[in-house]
Amino acid sequence: MLEICDLAARVAGKEILNGVNLTVNAGEVHAIMGPNGSGKSTLAQVLAGREDYEVTRGSVSFEGHDLLAMRAEERARAGLFLGFQYPVEIPGVNNVYLLKAALNAKRKAAGEPEVDAYDFLALIRQKMKFMQMSETFLTRGVNEGFSGGEKKRNEVLQMLVLEPKLAILDETDSGLDIDALKVVSQGVNSLRDPARAVVLVTHYQRLLDYVIPDYVHVLSGGRIVKSGDKSLAQELERRGYDWVMEPKVA
Amino acid sequence: MSAALRSFETQWRARAPDALQPIREAAMQRFLKLGLPSLRDETWRYTDLRSLAAQSYGEAGCAGSTAAAGSGIAASAGAQGGTEALALVDPKQHAATLTMRNGCPLFSSDLPAINGIEINSIKDLYKQDSNYLRRFFESASDADQRRWVLLNTALFVDGLYLKITKPVATPIVIRHLATGDAAQAAHPRIIIDASPGASATIIEHHLSEDDIAPLSNSNTHIALGKDAQLEHYRVYATGAGATHLDSLDIHQSENSQCRQFTIVLGGGLVRSSLEARLNQRGASLDSYSLLVGHQDRHVDCVNIVTHAAPDTRSRQTARAIASDLSRVIFNSKVIVNAGANGSDSKQSCRGLLLSPSAEIDTRPQLEIHADEVKCAHGATTGRLDPDMLFYLLSRGLDRETAQSLLVYAFLADVLTGMSVSSARAAIENALINQLPDAQTLRKFR
Repeated sequence: MLEICDLAARVAGKEILNGVNLTVNAGEVHAIMGPNGSGKSTLAQVLAGREDYEVTRGSVSFEGHDLLAMRAEERARAGLFLGFQYPVEIPGVNNVYLLKAALNAKRKAAGEPEVDAYDFLALIRQKMKFMQMSETFLTRGVNEGFSGGEKKRNEVLQMLVLEPKLAILDETDSGLDIDALKVVSQGVNSLRDPARAVVLVTHYQRLLDYVIPDYVHVLSGGRIVKSGDKSLAQELERRGYDWVMEPKVA
Repeated sequence: MSAALRSFETQWRARAPDALQPIREAAMQRFLKLGLPSLRDETWRYTDLRSLAAQSYGEAGCAGSTAAAGSGIAASAGAQGGTEALALVDPKQHAATLTMRNGCPLFSSDLPAINGIEINSIKDLYKQDSNYLRRFFESASDADQRRWVLLNTALFVDGLYLKITKPVATPIVIRHLATGDAAQAAHPRIIIDASPGASATIIEHHLSEDDIAPLSNSNTHIALGKDAQLEHYRVYATGAGATHLDSLDIHQSENSQCRQFTIVLGGGLVRSSLEARLNQRGASLDSYSLLVGHQDRHVDCVNIVTHAAPDTRSRQTARAIASDLSRVIFNSKVIVNAGANGSDSKQSCRGLLLSPSAEIDTRPQLEIHADEVKCAHGATTGRLDPDMLFYLLSRGLDRETAQSLLVYAFLADVLTGMSVSSARAAIENALINQLPDAQTLRKFR
């Protein structure tokens, strides 16, 4: 589904990714872990199509298409979803309006008609209930005045409505209390499906107790330095990151 | 002496004296002595009037008005020329529309009687009793933001005096129609006088018959008695070649509440000032400004709010959008007088630049002479937030939709404050037409 080959990228002239290789197949859940500043969020943003991140080398193919040649909105419509680490507040843009516009953009790209207003509301209500969100979310601006946990729930809600083929969740677990973590994990697990894939970008192993990954990768210095199964995450939790990091050139 | 000043003096000399003569005389002499404001004057530093000063102006006159001696002043002028008349009130609503052409009220006999409002021509009133209206005219201010008010006092031909005596539910629309050419000038004058406990909604709608219109130098004076409430709109929707200098004076008594909306949607050069005095305890003002720069429009908005009594409250919310080659200026100042403890004021101004050639200048200021006050101010100007834009794109929205949505959201703070839903809808509609991707924007409503 996703094939990243030797991907290098920089932000504001600074090299952040330095030759990432990663293959994600349908049905798999991958966790990308790593210390702060290792390039995890940059990788997520580059995959989603953020323009101020300059790709300097490598290729990414998504379902056989050249992902890097697609604009952010095209990637989203093709089934790629980014759950943001810091979802932005957009006062004045209604939360539900955005969801509906997003869903319709995807349907339009797939040659489907716009969603029926009544069906849409029923769908939202059902998903909100699943995510244990209050009805007041319906009338509020996008993430406006939401707590950190509410923003993350809202990200997962959007994901559930859009049903992406590939979900990249950037530190969706950070800032969550244990109850919220369970709800968010439940949301992610509900999307697990032989036809979909999930990439979890996380700093801690905590989330991986609830969403069990098939593969765990460690990103350090802008490249993947170690890969393994879920036991790698546990080992990282125990031993920290130092032992896997690339030796520093003196 | 500039050509403009000379021509105004010529008009003045040609006028027959009336009951307001001493006030008019003093105002005219002051105006001639001080001259037109220039870039050196504090509140005029962003607006160059030199080309205006180089022109001569004749009187725009009331041509076309049906000056019959009716019992009231009424209804539609049927202007379908240069600028679109906005449907600010629902036609099904029993709103009263009063029309002024170049500052002259159009008289007619079929004015719907509205319980709680007396409507009169200013000229008729001062003919009957020259003292009655005197308190609404000042003649001596040297302040540069009042320069054109002096000229208005000297030269206004007539105007409307609205006395509100009770709570009135029906919105009143005053339609200011400018007709004629750019070598003429009109000086429309409105007085809104609300008795203690009275309340009303008044919408002033400025439009022109053609793209070109006479110079309009209008003034509105609002006096609110104890506990009175007013929602007041001024909507500028004149043609692209029109020059409009408008001033609004608000005087508030104890516990009175004023909500004021200034909406710039038209005109070539629009200078809009607001001076409010919160004279007694508990007076409260909410001022909203929506300033839309489009094509080569120049919008200069000046707000001066004086807290002259303890426990008074003011809020100023301004949203400026500039596209194409336009320029928008928002200057606001809050003055807290000595002894006005417990004053509470907030100024929030945000600017959004939609083109690299557009310009927005904002300057919030505070002048505090009391100790115990709560005054906040903030001003930001920028382009569309790239984080917000990326967020919307990452959800699959196309770029045009995402951008339009953010522009619309930017304006929401002002639009949602409007309690006349028909006015809000009409203003939104006109606004959308001046923003990129009008068709997309319509879907958000």
